[in-house]
Amino acid sequence: MSKVGEEITAHFPEINTHRIDEKRVEVNTDKGYLLSLLNFLKDGGYDHLGLISCVDRMEDGVLQLVYVLSRYAQDESVPGPDPTLVVKIPLSREEPTIVSSMGVFINAEPYERELYEMFGIDFTGHPRLDPLFLERDYDIPPLRKDFDTRRYVTEEFETIPPVED
Amino acid sequence: MEILRQRDTGPTTRELELYFGPQHLGMVGNFSITLNVKGDRIVSAEANPGYLHRGFEKLMEERNWIQNFPLVCRVNVIEPGSMEMVYSMAVEDLAGIEVPERGEYIRCIYLELSRVASHLFGLWAYSKMLGFETVGGWAMYHRDLILDLFEELTGGRVYNIYIWPGGVRRDLPEGFIGRVKRTLHEIGGKVPDYNKTFFENRVFHERARGIGVVGKDEAKEMGGTGQVLRAAGQEYDIRKVDPYGVYDEVDWEVHTREEGDAYSRIMVIRDEMIESVHMVFKLLKDIPDGPAYNKVPNPFKWRIPEGETYVRLESSRGELGLYLLSDGGQRPYRAHFRTPSYPHGLTVLEKALDGESISDTGNIMISLYVTAPEIDR
Repeated sequence: MSKVGEEITAHFPEINTHRIDEKRVEVNTDKGYLLSLLNFLKDGGYDHLGLISCVDRMEDGVLQLVYVLSRYAQDESVPGPDPTLVVKIPLSREEPTIVSSMGVFINAEPYERELYEMFGIDFTGHPRLDPLFLERDYDIPPLRKDFDTRRYVTEEFETIPPVED
Repeated sequence: MEILRQRDTGPTTRELELYFGPQHLGMVGNFSITLNVKGDRIVSAEANPGYLHRGFEKLMEERNWIQNFPLVCRVNVIEPGSMEMVYSMAVEDLAGIEVPERGEYIRCIYLELSRVASHLFGLWAYSKMLGFETVGGWAMYHRDLILDLFEELTGGRVYNIYIWPGGVRRDLPEGFIGRVKRTLHEIGGKVPDYNKTFFENRVFHERARGIGVVGKDEAKEMGGTGQVLRAAGQEYDIRKVDPYGVYDEVDWEVHTREEGDAYSRIMVIRDEMIESVHMVFKLLKDIPDGPAYNKVPNPFKWRIPEGETYVRLESSRGELGLYLLSDGGQRPYRAHFRTPSYPHGLTVLEKALDGESISDTGNIMISLYVTAPEIDR
């Protein structure tokens, strides 16, 4: 068990953590704890939000949000490199909503916009939740597993006549 | 630049909306910014990425583990070496592959050479933007000398795919170490000239000092890494914080500055370039004998056990991470790159442009060292 894992479990008994290996600690929680957990971790020195990602677990009906957190300053009380935290939050695939974490980490802004666009996750309280990269509208958000790239390309672009010499 | 819309904000000054980019000298690749300006001062800026979105992360789910290499190295066009490395590290972690010590040394030598090549490219862009054609020419020439070395390694000048799960694709060719030393001596011998013509030049000082200031706390708030953070006085380098390869076995230091402006960011890049050259010499001195790689299974039948990982390393631009998932199949289930330009180009840039002059937009963009393909992926 890592030091940060123990601290989390001591403060939030409902959240379970486990050490994957030397460099990583996994934290599993649900969306109600997000802001209090992020605030707690930020105050405890985990002040660098590296990434917000999402995994579409279609067979479980779950979109799994992943927050990767690390430290800017080394924790002197523990020898060796500090582990990276991987916080996982499951959301329902039908109605994925979660509160925006921009109030804790400003750089969550583009990540949340990207996930809104690519997975259709609604981040409540986000000031400009509009598409970041793409210009077309899609029925299914394109990075979800049921979005068929091949079929989309065929249907969308087959009607364009080939260039003649 | 094209004036999109004029807004009446009073009798004396008008606020204008300017569209900056997507083709611009201040950016590698295509990227645009919408600037709200009053006179020639920027009131607010909004970054518009997406011109280079190629959907690599979705495509990677359709290709097998080895087929993904050509995609991965195109995420950062300027420095593909670190992209190969981060993907290899993630695959090795999932599949449990070890790298022999010589392989780790060769990887670090290759990565440091790519860092120098990438910084020289950055120096080319920055000096050209300020009008130093000669310095730009030298930098491009010296970068080309390093690309010659890469060409000898793999036949490719830019997209080498030299780093491979289990080590590198093949051992160094005969006499290669001597040629690396000769090239680095040639580049190092030019440093006094670079200093005299560019780094100590008044024009550079006056154009770069106090421009695009990002303080230490601000940079940390906004997820800054790499030069953005080190130029503001925070000693943060993944090679020290979370060592990989053999960076903890060789003696080197992290260079920082205090001011956090464009000048200090460029000077940090210069210092790092020199440090990397020294590091390559040290690595070449200590390089052990032995195998350079461990064999990977047949790429066409290779299945990687179920699992997930997040690995990170220090690319030439900052913290580069990869979140990679396997469901036990022949292809990744999900891949997501944490690229350093993402926070720098989207969050930090908007903040750094506030209150600056329009003519410094390119200056700030290059000094933040953003590459557009890394943002869009």
